[in-house]
Amino acid sequence: MSTTTATHHDDHAHDSHGHPTGLMRWVKSTNHKDIGTMYLWFSFTMFLFAGGLAMLIRAELFQPGLQFFQPEFFNQLTTLHGLIMIFGAIMPAFVGLANWQVPLMIGAPDMAFPRLNNMSFWLLIPAAFLLLTSFFVPGGAVAGGWTLYPPLSVQGGMSVDMTIFAVHILGISSIVGSINIITTIFNMRAPGMTLMKMPMFVWTWLITAYLLIAAMPVLAGAVTMLLTDRHFGTHFFNAAGGGDPVLFQHVFWFFGHPEVYIMILPAFGILSTIIPTFARKPLFGYASMVYATTAIAVLSFVVWAHHMFTTGMPVAGQLFFMYSTMLISIPTGVKVFNWLATMWKGSMTFETPMLFAVAVVFLFTIGGFSGLVCSILPVDIQLQDTYYVVAHFHYVLFSGAAMAIMGGIYYWIPKWTGHMYDEKLGKVHFWLTTIAFNVTFFPMHFTGLAGMPRRIPDYAQQFAEFNMISSLGAFALGLSQLLFLYVVIKCIRGGAKATNQVWEGAHGLEWTVPSPAPFHTFETPPVLK
Amino acid sequence: MILSDMTSSDVDSYNSYRVTFKPNCSLSTSGKVKVVLLLTVIPCSIGVGFSLLGAWLVLPFVGIEIFALGYAFYHVNSHASDYESISIDGDSLVVERCNGQHVSQHLLNPYWAKVVRRELSNGELCLSLLSHGKEIEVGRYLTRKQRESLAEQLQKRTGTFFKTLK
Repeated sequence: MSTTTATHHDDHAHDSHGHPTGLMRWVKSTNHKDIGTMYLWFSFTMFLFAGGLAMLIRAELFQPGLQFFQPEFFNQLTTLHGLIMIFGAIMPAFVGLANWQVPLMIGAPDMAFPRLNNMSFWLLIPAAFLLLTSFFVPGGAVAGGWTLYPPLSVQGGMSVDMTIFAVHILGISSIVGSINIITTIFNMRAPGMTLMKMPMFVWTWLITAYLLIAAMPVLAGAVTMLLTDRHFGTHFFNAAGGGDPVLFQHVFWFFGHPEVYIMILPAFGILSTIIPTFARKPLFGYASMVYATTAIAVLSFVVWAHHMFTTGMPVAGQLFFMYSTMLISIPTGVKVFNWLATMWKGSMTFETPMLFAVAVVFLFTIGGFSGLVCSILPVDIQLQDTYYVVAHFHYVLFSGAAMAIMGGIYYWIPKWTGHMYDEKLGKVHFWLTTIAFNVTFFPMHFTGLAGMPRRIPDYAQQFAEFNMISSLGAFALGLSQLLFLYVVIKCIRGGAKATNQVWEGAHGLEWTVPSPAPFHTFETPPVLK
Repeated sequence: MILSDMTSSDVDSYNSYRVTFKPNCSLSTSGKVKVVLLLTVIPCSIGVGFSLLGAWLVLPFVGIEIFALGYAFYHVNSHASDYESISIDGDSLVVERCNGQHVSQHLLNPYWAKVVRRELSNGELCLSLLSHGKEIEVGRYLTRKQRESLAEQLQKRTGTFFKTLK
């Protein structure tokens, strides 16, 4: 007999990429699961920090009059809250979920470029360092809002340069990550997984990566022009030298509006994954979901100037952007309809991920409708820069993106850790978050409609009650996220053993691997029938 | 590294045996070209548009990004034609491997070669051919089931020296 059988030769070439340990496992990791974990922890840390800034904002707004901070510092808080939540919390969290789930969902062993994947993550650290330390430089952090509009950003101090460099680094990270995701999805799908068989989360991430590819150079160009205006004598946006500050707004929002969809499309993918599982029915209208996602992505490039209705553009331009903005509600409506149709007559159960998913459908729709209100030109002229807009984008970005991320984490964490999370505490976290979120942000619709301007630390006496309610809600919302941290840590440390499939109604390749998912999965791909 | 599905072609006759494995790549070369073009057109249009409006600094960033994207797809495509082939013809057993532009060949004697099966801690099966102190891993692109089948086929055709001894 010419056969020799050996077992557990870990020094063998094939298994030499086994399971590294210690700190260097994380520093040098090229494993998509490790990098996904690091992204998620980074984003949660940033989420808590930027949430802490929000607590300070709400403490200041608890009562009318200046309570704790000078207006300059208040504006630094609002600016950094926005920048960090967008670039440090929401986006990295979605990239973390993509890192974990995309290879598992398409049957790939890893991302196409694992070393670049490592680089994408570690670029976040210096960028975060620049943003966080900008509070301590002379003049303090950037105070002109996350949009960095000139002339304030042209005139600002050293912190503006730090923020520009941070944005550049974050942009490189995003672009490298997007190229990685696109090449992975196109080239590494398991045999039999055609594009129209891909899970919706993968589809939404493919389109998101494309949006990043198209939008990020615009942001990079915009902030570079700011930098050259500040230090190299150019006058792109400096009116004193013949430049046009409004051009910056066009360039910025050409990036900024697709950015909004970059932050919500993966959330749609998460909902399209969770809802069929707990409704125990296939996703209703899969193809229409794909086309609706594509339509949203395309339309996101022709609506940017609805952020600029009050800058003085021709009426024809105003009407164009009003109608194009309204058009987005059609593919979004298709999605909401499909989620409802998926739930219709389903054998539904309401575990924590499903609670989050249903809440996101409901609350995001509220945010979508208030967006429609803002798209109406004469109404927007009244609502521009009021708390109505603050309420609108928090309904979209917190109860849309952030709560979808939380739902996704509850949904997949048994697969990641091999343990079931504490369902009771998960539900407590859900209800605290949902109630506190609405207590915080729903009253802002009223204060905004009554004319309370955003980014101002003081307000008229008439807004006192609503602001006090919002602040109390915000403190509860912030504290309830510590419970989320506790539930996650508890799940990592132990709990009931998770089965491979975890959820009765779950379908897809990620549920065919053991729980916790082994360090290496799909080294040879599965074949789909 | 992209390890994926295999496609194999067999030639099996009385005296010769040949099998070729290729890694999976779910997009053809022409598909890659189309995808890169699709990904390039809109950012380039955006860059040119802003340049015409005076914001020309968008364009260099578009260029850098498109270069990076194109290179990524080129790199993936350069490994799409990787293969591993095992051929036995008379008293020569050749394992040929193509990795990017690099082709390597290992020549063994089928009468002396042993098929080594190793059960790995992650549940995978690792196959290699061992002869005169030289060990060459084979079947990298295969699933466990396919490796087991390959092992059976190779066992029939190798190690006849040892079989005679027994």
